[in-house]
Amino acid sequence: MGASRVDMKVVLLGKEYGGKTSLVERYLHDRFAGDTPYQNVRNYNATIGAAFGAKKVDIGDKVLTLGVWDTAGSERYEAMSRIYYRGAKAAIVCYDLTDRTSFERARFWVNELMKNEEGCKIYLCGTKKDLVISDKRTREVDYHMTTDYAEEIHAEVHETSSKTGENIFELFTKIAKDFASNPENIKKERDKDKETLDLYEDNKKKFGCCG
Amino acid sequence: MASENETVEPPGDEFKTLDEGNEPGGRRDGFLVASDSFEDFARLEEAKSSIKDRHPSGTINKIVREGSCEDPPDKQDEIESVSSGIASMATEEQNDSAFSDNGNVAEQVAPTLSASIHEEEELDEVHKPEWKGQKKHVFILSEAGKPIYSRYGAEDKLVTIMGVMQALVSFVQDSKDSMRCIISGKHKFVFLTRDHLLLVAVSCTSSSTPQLLLQLNYVYNQVLSVLTYSHINKIFKQRHNYDLRRLLTGAEKFFDSLLNLMDHEPGFLLSAVRCLPLPSAVRDVVAQSIVQHAKVKDLVFAILIANNQLITLVRMKKYFLHPADLHLIFNLVSASESFKTAESWTPICLPKFDSGGYLHAHVSYLDDNCAACLLLLTVDRDMFFTLSECKSKIVERLHRYNCIEAIREALTKYTYSISQVGIPDLRHFMYKSRSTAQFTSPELESPYHTASEQERIFGLYQYLHHRMHSTSRPLKILFHVGSYETLLGWVTSGFELYAVFGPLVTKPTAINSINKLLKWIKKEEDRLFILNSPTF
Repeated sequence: MGASRVDMKVVLLGKEYGGKTSLVERYLHDRFAGDTPYQNVRNYNATIGAAFGAKKVDIGDKVLTLGVWDTAGSERYEAMSRIYYRGAKAAIVCYDLTDRTSFERARFWVNELMKNEEGCKIYLCGTKKDLVISDKRTREVDYHMTTDYAEEIHAEVHETSSKTGENIFELFTKIAKDFASNPENIKKERDKDKETLDLYEDNKKKFGCCG
Repeated sequence: MASENETVEPPGDEFKTLDEGNEPGGRRDGFLVASDSFEDFARLEEAKSSIKDRHPSGTINKIVREGSCEDPPDKQDEIESVSSGIASMATEEQNDSAFSDNGNVAEQVAPTLSASIHEEEELDEVHKPEWKGQKKHVFILSEAGKPIYSRYGAEDKLVTIMGVMQALVSFVQDSKDSMRCIISGKHKFVFLTRDHLLLVAVSCTSSSTPQLLLQLNYVYNQVLSVLTYSHINKIFKQRHNYDLRRLLTGAEKFFDSLLNLMDHEPGFLLSAVRCLPLPSAVRDVVAQSIVQHAKVKDLVFAILIANNQLITLVRMKKYFLHPADLHLIFNLVSASESFKTAESWTPICLPKFDSGGYLHAHVSYLDDNCAACLLLLTVDRDMFFTLSECKSKIVERLHRYNCIEAIREALTKYTYSISQVGIPDLRHFMYKSRSTAQFTSPELESPYHTASEQERIFGLYQYLHHRMHSTSRPLKILFHVGSYETLLGWVTSGFELYAVFGPLVTKPTAINSINKLLKWIKKEEDRLFILNSPTF
């Protein structure tokens, strides 16, 4: 996959076993591993470091290539997380709808992003919606609480299920459309006078200068 | 076992000692650090080595600082000086025979352990027969006695038993001594203390105490590989009773898979790496492709591996990889399903290379249908896309020269059969070239085709290896006649050979056979070993 021909960097952040990899798997490959890894005592599927995947998304008037970074949720990577979200134009901050503590981690990531990555738009994403639909009592994260919080930080909330595919493609399409409709991004595209944008390169330079 | 007998041979004329560098698979300019880690490790244990010896650090910074400037101090020299010196095994307070069931040490301690187990009826984990029946338990706990990992059972249910382990170790430490080993019946309890961590193995396998210590050291290196020594050190200095499991979530699989690998992979025991047998022409093209397309600043190692075998390794001039680090890389790849689906960018610490920091690894499989995995290791954390492009170019060139096809073919068939060697009565062997830290051995075939027979033969190899490398009496040659097979071990400055014959073979026949075997390995060395050491 032409990794360097990415128009837009999207990063997924959130607590471990929060369903980030499943979300990406569903979006990039439209598949879902039947075995729910987060229910294992020993998690054999935990992401190591971060995985990269790219996908073209058609938003009507043009086609954008999204570079999606699926990061590992483990705390040990916290100190290094900037490597992964640096230069991202959108961050999907995931939390598990059936796990209250995962929303606390989501708040942590939001603060981290707002502090270090101004140009990054935040999308709060509740995962494993199929579980709370089949049994309402399993829901631990209240929808209105999340929307209140989203308003406060100028983000938006999406509740998804990677198992059924609910809201997944909608979420990524929304991200791509928001990006394309932002005049700043379009201006850059024109300035660069290139076939495609190369935002990663652009951001790398920017960060190289200010340390 | 009345039928068993052994002879320790003085190396006679029939054992023509080969010139150094001339033995099969031998080279002076390897790419792996060729010090014998087993003895190296033993020596470090003995000498209560300084932290610097045990935790090399600064290599990564050196590479970063160097940038374009030349002539850094030669890393190889540094390592060689560490590995020279007398290789003697960890001081066991007594030799094995003294640790019989009636031995004092066992008498004193064993009741303590079982008593404490009985106190905790609610922690039923340790009472389960399947837990008790496991052949090799491994535990990691913090200096404060907090459970970090248990090979079997949930570690948080083993708080009490780990507390006992910690108490035993610190009790002995109080009298300025250290706990090495307790033997009780068939069980060995082996302890390895490291800064902030305590590792314990409880085993009733044929592994010797030094071999168990070596395995615990691998497990310790695996912890470092995930977290780095500096990180662990910092955390425990701040909070003595920190729960390290928080940082290791998702890494349990590395410990599980490492321990499983060590139960049957001789590479750990031999401190050597197995190469995928491949025509040298193919291997050269693979190395050339990497050299050509991955000539990138700050790229330290490019490593192509498949099924725990090395296909090729290209390194930055002046930097070498230790086989122990390569084993951790094998383990990383074989334990991680997630690399198969996507290109990954992951930090990894190679403790023998630099325990103080991470290298960043671009990890990807060559192609969906090929089990070969390429790792590009750099010190620059922002190089993912550069390396991603390098990888595509490398793959393109490998396709053009049909190398991927050749690798796939090499992987689908048996590596080689003992019958190809053509020596009657020779059933199996392991040959390690000491100067290159590589080893070769044929497939395990009948009668060693069942899991239990394979376990038994591996146990015999462990026994043979232990006898050859015993501290109190290291051997050069050992001829061991057992009930079901005859073993022959031969260690020279250039190689180590462990061979298994049928039970009725005579000594002259066996000696004759291994001389033939050495000739065969010499003839095949281009295919079985990596003899050159390409650099960027």
